[in-house]
Amino acid sequence: MIFSGEFIAFLALALVAIMGGVLLLNLTKVVHMVVALLFTFVSIAGIFILLSAEFVAVVQVLVYAGSITIIMLFGIMLTKPDDESEEQKGGKLRKILTLLGIIGFAFAVYIGIADLNFGSEQVALHVDNTEQIGIALYSKYIIPFELTSVVLLVALIGAIVIAKMDDEKEAEKE
Amino acid sequence: MMQDLLHSEPGLLNFGIVFAGAVLLLFVILGFVTYGILAERKVLGFMQSRHGPNQVGGPWGLLQTVADVLKLLLKEDTIPKLADRPIYIIAPVIAFAPSFMVMAVVPLTDKLQFADVGVGLLYYIAVTGLTTIGMLMGGWASNNKFALLGGMRAAAQMISYEIPLVMSVVGIVLLTGSMNLNDIVAAQENLWYIIMQPIAFIVFFIAATAELNRVPFDLAEAENELIAGFHVEYSGFRWAMFMLAEYVYMFAMASLITVLFLGGWLPLFSFLDFIPGAVWFALKFSAVIWVLIWFRATFPRMRPDQLMEMCWKVLLPIAIANIFLTAIVKEILNLF
Repeated sequence: MIFSGEFIAFLALALVAIMGGVLLLNLTKVVHMVVALLFTFVSIAGIFILLSAEFVAVVQVLVYAGSITIIMLFGIMLTKPDDESEEQKGGKLRKILTLLGIIGFAFAVYIGIADLNFGSEQVALHVDNTEQIGIALYSKYIIPFELTSVVLLVALIGAIVIAKMDDEKEAEKE
Repeated sequence: MMQDLLHSEPGLLNFGIVFAGAVLLLFVILGFVTYGILAERKVLGFMQSRHGPNQVGGPWGLLQTVADVLKLLLKEDTIPKLADRPIYIIAPVIAFAPSFMVMAVVPLTDKLQFADVGVGLLYYIAVTGLTTIGMLMGGWASNNKFALLGGMRAAAQMISYEIPLVMSVVGIVLLTGSMNLNDIVAAQENLWYIIMQPIAFIVFFIAATAELNRVPFDLAEAENELIAGFHVEYSGFRWAMFMLAEYVYMFAMASLITVLFLGGWLPLFSFLDFIPGAVWFALKFSAVIWVLIWFRATFPRMRPDQLMEMCWKVLLPIAIANIFLTAIVKEILNLF
């Protein structure tokens, strides 16, 4: 069972996701970074599908790969920031400290997940999981859900108010 | 058949079968695109009292599109000197790949479907959004201000019209109780959703035309007046990829409208069910394509500001009102 189809698919998706992340850090042009990020988002959606969480996967594509990437691209293209990010300068000490940090983090994560146990897995979770999410969201977690919607509404109104303020200032200038 | 294959053990044979199926579907879609373009030109010609293509391949111009595609393939592939090369090259691929990916979930008949995904409808809408990124990237990478403006215009239009598109189908999801496209077709056994959800149908059709970048919403790529938009700098095969993506979306969207509102492969009357489902699907599908071409021949193009106002101030409120209406009607029907 080591080389099942699922395993190969997971390897491919994980590789693309990590490569997207590494490219995001290494590329110099901002738009290239966003494209690298797009690959990471899509392959993470693929990993969700492997875990039978199709609803989360689709929402991942819809929200992250679709909307957020487009908003970032819009922002970058309209504002034209300094296109090239500059080369990081730093002495040897800095490099050694970074390496130590990475080793420490890797060690901490290893200890964390070495004998991680999620308890007995619930078998029926992947059956009709969209329906199950809906039922849980609208019965057990209804108050957090409604509160989130209020927070989003406040953010929306706030954005409109800020946009309107700019208009008024420009009108005064003229 | 595909369903069993997807659950079977992985192996070279099964991979080969699935791969062959996908290639077959690709060729069916390419065949549709070839003759869809010809049909479009013929119908446009008919509506504008002229002949349309009638030279290459007999009196109906049957080989006209084939000749056009060959011409495109032989054209020089130009890349502007100051273009952002990697993105310029990858953009047509990112625009095209999702258009073919969405075909995986659309059921053509009760047996002819690649993946029976529980959230099929949402999958379709989510994956469509990826094409917008390809267009935006193509427009930006060309390093041409008209291309950039065109890309921005296309992206703004497509992400805006996605919202009424999603909102209008919520009514159908409410009535069916599922986002699975097979379940949606099965729920139309007695009455098609075009009769149960007429408001949703109109909103969906308008939003779908806008998503497809077709007249009257073709500002993103108006070939004659607005110098084509995001793909001005593209030529040859790369340009063909963008156009191909568009026609594949036309195929996919017409299939989706057939599945959602016209009962998919179900016959018009139950005594006509000796005619196979595929024929019914093809008939309904062709009718949708015909209406799309008819739109193109008869409507004038909209202005960008009118386009956005139409989306946010007209379609979206109507779609939301339709959700309320559907929910109320459903609750009232449940009382009895």
